[in-house]
Parts: sequence; structure tokens; C-alpha cells
Amino acid sequence: MTDSKNGAAGKLAGWFSSRNSGLSRCVIPVAAVVLLVVIPLVVESLYNLHILIMVFFYVIAALSLRAIVISGQFPLGHAAYMGIGAYAGGMASKWLGLPPGLSIVGAAVFTMIIGILVAYSFARLRALYYAMGSLFLGVAIVQILNAGGTWTGGYSGLSGIPPMFDNSKVTWYYVALGLLILSALALYRFESSRIGTNLKAISQSHLVAESVGIDEAKYRILAVAVGSFFVGLAGAGYAHYVGTIATSNYNFMATMWLFMYVLVGGINNFYGPIVGTFILILIPEYFRSLKTYSPFISAGILFLFVYLMPNGFAGLFELAVARIKGWRAGRTGNAAAD
Amino acid sequence: MEQVVATLFNVLILSSMYILVALGFAFLFNMLGILNLAHGAVYMVGGYIGFALITSVGINPWVSILIAALIMAAFGVFLERFCFRPFTGDFNRIVMVGVGINVVLQTAVNAMLGTKMQALPSLVDGYLRFGVVSVSYQRISIFVIGAVLLVLVSWFVRKTKRGQQMQAISQDIEGAALSGISVHRVSALACALGSGLAALAGCLMGSYLMLSPYMGDLMLIKALVLVILAGIGSIGGIFVTGLILGGLDAVAPVLFSGAVSDAIPYVVVVIVLLIRPRGFFGREG
Repeated sequence: MTDSKNGAAGKLAGWFSSRNSGLSRCVIPVAAVVLLVVIPLVVESLYNLHILIMVFFYVIAALSLRAIVISGQFPLGHAAYMGIGAYAGGMASKWLGLPPGLSIVGAAVFTMIIGILVAYSFARLRALYYAMGSLFLGVAIVQILNAGGTWTGGYSGLSGIPPMFDNSKVTWYYVALGLLILSALALYRFESSRIGTNLKAISQSHLVAESVGIDEAKYRILAVAVGSFFVGLAGAGYAHYVGTIATSNYNFMATMWLFMYVLVGGINNFYGPIVGTFILILIPEYFRSLKTYSPFISAGILFLFVYLMPNGFAGLFELAVARIKGWRAGRTGNAAAD
Repeated sequence: MEQVVATLFNVLILSSMYILVALGFAFLFNMLGILNLAHGAVYMVGGYIGFALITSVGINPWVSILIAALIMAAFGVFLERFCFRPFTGDFNRIVMVGVGINVVLQTAVNAMLGTKMQALPSLVDGYLRFGVVSVSYQRISIFVIGAVLLVLVSWFVRKTKRGQQMQAISQDIEGAALSGISVHRVSALACALGSGLAALAGCLMGSYLMLSPYMGDLMLIKALVLVILAGIGSIGGIFVTGLILGGLDAVAPVLFSGAVSDAIPYVVVVIVLLIRPRGFFGREG
């Protein structure tokens, strides 16, 4: 690690990259953040801001999903955890009268506790059986929320969650962006730390990982704890933003869409979920005038990526970078391409 | 008494329909590890094709159901060839393709017919009465068709050459290929058979309950429950788990109110999976 040499800037760079430190790796993220900060100053349309706020919350959810996926676990009920966060936060604000900020953080912690308990009892399930177990648990959670009567609002959903910030879109925009940046930094740090390396080792082979002294059960639970904390945060924030939530946003297909965000962006890259969420929400949104036909656009994007870009957008990006490097190296006569 | 007989028929009908759909799913899942997320949509579209043929074209209901099954079987061949075969062994991309097909089929039905709930017209009219109890011929015929189909399918898998080839592939793909089984041809057949069965179940459920563009999502989860609880690799176990889930789904609404009865089967399933992580009849290892 060369973090300590360059003071604060180097430390920041180190946060973004543990392998090859260097400011070049932070150029794109920092530029993207600057662009997103400027957008409300330029864009007048409140509707466009609304779409971006939703994208921010879903990016946090997609990133949290990847935090679990890197440990080799496929939680096919992840959206249900978003539902737990949303309902816990919404109910705490509505029925207990807690201040919304407190209930959002409380909901995230509550989701994390549920996640830890579930991960502890699912420790025996691996690979496909873990995926299926969490799928059925997700369905069960959604049905339990449906059965909650007046507390959860049942099938018609929970409405009347107290508004925050006078429902000002611009304020919400910056709050959501702030939450996104903090979550992304925390999750990046988590993934590039020793814990993240251990998780990746477990996902490659849990037997080999255990043989070199990695406590598989502990790290798998840790990954789920981190993932469910952030997905609960996203769910609770989203619930307070829109004010009305329904269980149909957290069912099996919702989980599959979270997976699609991650896969379209590229599951092997930290930035994949971010790019994928933007692609899969913004492009269909652009074609919303097609009304009932607009889901065809999302499906079209999926087919495009499946058939042409097997490693998602990030894979395409990496390929392009490698090609450019190779081309440059060839022109200047350097033998080593890459 | 009335209620007991009605519930009993519900158990039998729901179980046989669940098993029909789950068998089709299990063929591909056990043989090649393909998680066919489009299976629920195939079931739904089958029901709608049957509905359209009966109401708009005006063909005899029995013939319509058969045509719907054949159309979806052809679609199954297409699915296997262009959506699953190119990505064998790539779990992520098969999931993506499945979700894409699911969205396309749901959107197409939505756009053409709207989200309004529809029902296939009754296949047979009249009631069978003995004493105080009366059961509609409709229910009896749905159950009988389902049961006959299940017997035929298990005969096909166990006794015919193609069925035994399917079992061989699900035990060891490479070994099967080495002994001269055309894996591609057999898996195309399995996908066609599975899709056809799903379409038949869609038509029958459409005349028993209602059709909706989103009914496939629910059925897909039921099929997954059956396959996983039975244990991956077990075809016979699906019949047992089908009866269990059909029983839970039919009996829970009698004992509990609406939403609670929907939650109970899944809570039970999660608990069973925690106690037996590999299902009832799954392979160890």
C-alpha cells in the first residue's frame, strides 16, 4: 500500500483503489459525482429529478446485492430485505412517530439484524440451495407483510408515511446522492479490504478458503450483514421519499431486476451495478411514451447484453481499455500490451 | 361434508397442475442445470392462446387446448436452441435470458389483451351429484386430465428410450454423450415437452381459476418449491412435494383468512428446507 506517502490525496486515491494506487483510477468516479452534483442546477424538470432520485436508491440496493454476491451467495430474495427496510422505516415513522432520519437508520440496522439471523440459520445452505432458500424466504417475507393487516396496510400497501424536507425534490436529490456516495465509498472499502478478499476466496472454493484459516460461516454472515444494512437503508430512504409503498415492489421479480442491474453493468466490477442501474432505469424511462409496450425496451437491453456483451458494460469498458492500450503500445513499439 | 369434498378436489386439482408445471421445469433443471425463468410465462401464454382460440377463433375447446400445447412446445424448441443452448453452464446469462423472455411474453399479452382477468369457458357442463354432495364435471375432468397426463409423463420418463436418455443426461452429461446420446436433441425434446405440459396446465388452470398476465410468476415459484423440496435430480419426489404444496395451498384458506393463508405455505417450505437442506429425495454431496 502506498497510501501513507502522499498525504490526504493519496489516502483518497487509496480508498478508491487498493491495487494500483494512483489518481487516474478516481478520475471517472469523481467526474461522475461532479456531474451528478451539477444536474439539479441545470435540469428544471422535477420529473427528471424524481427519476434520478429513484435511480440513486436502486443503485444503493444493487451495490448491496453485489456485496453479498462476491461471497458466492446468490440471495434471490434480496428485494424482500429492501421491503423489510421500507416497511420498518415507514411504520416507525408513521405509527411510532419517530423522526424520519432516525427511523431510516433504525430500519437499516433492523434489516441488518434480520439479515444476520437469517444468514446464521442458512449457514448450512450453499450455492443453489442458498439461492432457493432465500428466494422462498423472500416470498414468505412479502406474504407476511401482506398479512400484516392495518399495521402494514396489507395488499393495498402502506401509505401516509410522514414527508421529509417538505418533499422538496432538490433537497431529496442531494440527500439521496449523499447516501449513495457514502454507501458506495463504504462498500468499495469493504470490498477492497481484507474482508472482501476473503469473501472472494470463499466464493472460489469454500474448502480451500477454510483450509487457509478463513472462517467461512463468519465471513458469509458478515457479507449478508453489510448487504442487508445497505439494502435496508435504500428501502427506508425510498419509502420516506415516495410516501407510499406496496409489497409488489419487493417480490421475486423485483429481486430479479436487482440482479439484472448488476449483471447488465457487469458482475465482476464494482462499478457494474451503478452503470447497470442507470442503463436499465433511464433508457426505458426515455421511451415511456410507448406506454404498455415500454417493457420491451428493458427486455431488448437484456437481450443486447446477453448476446453481445457477456461480461456486462464493465466488461465492454475493460475490453476497450485493453484494446486502446494495446494499440498505443503497438504504435510506440512497446512489446508489452496491457 | 360439502366443504370437505370441495377442499379435497381443490387439493387434487392444484397438486396435479403444480406437478405438471414443475415436471417441465425439472426436466431442464435436472438435466442441464438450466434455471428456466421463462417457464411461468410459457404456462401463462399457453392459457391465453387456448383462451384466444376458443373465444376469438371459435374452435372446439379440447382441440384449442391441444393446439395451444403444440404451439408452446414449438416455442420450447426455439427457447432451447436460441436462448439456453448458447449459454450452457453460464448461470448468469441464462437467468438474464429467462427474465427477458418473461418480460417480452408478459408485455405482449398485456398489450394485446389488457390486464383484465379472463377465464376460459367451461370445458364440460353439469354436476355430478351423490346425496348432498355435488361436484362439477368441470373439476372432475380437469383432475382426470391432469392425472392421465402425469401417468403418461412418468411412463415416458421411465420406460421409453428418450425418457431413459433424459435420465442418463441428468446423471452424467459427458457419460451420456460418450455413449452416443445426442444431448442437444434430447434437451430440445425435454424443453418442448415441458413447455407443452406447462401450456396444458395453463389452459386447465385458466378454466378452473382465472387468467392474468402475471399468473406465471406465482406458478414459477410454486414449480421451484416443488423441484427444490423434492431435491434436485429427483423426478418422483416432485409428486410427493406437489401433493404437500397443493394440500397446503388448498387447506390453508379454509383455516385462515386471506393473506395469512398465502404466507403459511412459504413459511413451511423455508422451515423444511432448513431441516433438510437438500430436499426430501435429493442427492447428497
